Amino acid sequence: MKYTIALLSLCALPAFANVDIVGNVSAKCVIQTDKSGVYGNPTAPVLSTTPADGGVLPVIRFDVALANYYTANITHPTSFSSSPSLSDNVTWTGSTSVTNTSDAGMSGYDAAKVVYDNTTVFDLTVAGSTWFSTASSATYAASKPFPGGTYTAVVQATCIAK
Amino acid sequence: MLSKLTIAFMGWATAISGHEMTPAYPILKPSHVIGIVKAEMSLFNSREEVQYYQIDLYDLNWKNIPFSTTYRIFKVGYKERKNFVVYIRESDLDEATYLCTTSKIKRRAESSTIISSKICSRIDGEPA
Repeated sequence: MKYTIALLSLCALPAFANVDIVGNVSAKCVIQTDKSGVYGNPTAPVLSTTPADGGVLPVIRFDVALANYYTANITHPTSFSSSPSLSDNVTWTGSTSVTNTSDAGMSGYDAAKVVYDNTTVFDLTVAGSTWFSTASSATYAASKPFPGGTYTAVVQATCIAK
Repeated sequence: MLSKLTIAFMGWATAISGHEMTPAYPILKPSHVIGIVKAEMSLFNSREEVQYYQIDLYDLNWKNIPFSTTYRIFKVGYKERKNFVVYIRESDLDEATYLCTTSKIKRRAESSTIISSKICSRIDGEPA
């Protein structure tokens, strides 16, 4: 028995195994909220996110893993989601533009953007990250001062598979 | 090299604050009920200020299409991944196009703009 075990132990070989690491890159979109905007109140009837008006522009980043699979649709506000009671109409303006890119190939995004109603559409034709900022301004009717209180409006950032 | 950098950048980017839903083109599979198919989806939330997401199904003209799922509005913690299944009638498949998740946002105490994020996958297949 001893001899058999000794013979078998001589025959034993070290075990080897290959472990594969598998990765997959597929179409994916991530919406990052880099900065929420803040409304400045430069004059009594105006609320504006423009820095010159004391506001802060909201910044949204879209990251796409593969080129040509998504569009970025960004909608600037046309109403307050919460505000004090307002008895008159509010006039809204807004716009969205590219502020930074991770790839030089994205330089044409602004020129190629499509604007309809209050939505701006960018075709994400290059993989990587694009930063967008949205300006929003609200003017109270007949230059009346906005009532005191907190005003909130929603910027809708949508990433749609093509 | 560029693609490696892009992937590394995406990994870094995902770690900050974002809303991610995959796959972009879900494969519809038969469910345990005849006449109903299912799409298996995954959502990753790294938006600290967001805890709830809403599921919607639309046609090509953004009209709502009926569907079934466990919770239409569901909680996803910060840096948490949640898998969910959406059940769709086979008879609606000709029209159903976009399967979307939208972040639900809280009211704030300062005059501000808040960002609602929405990601839409296409269930009618990858573009040719």
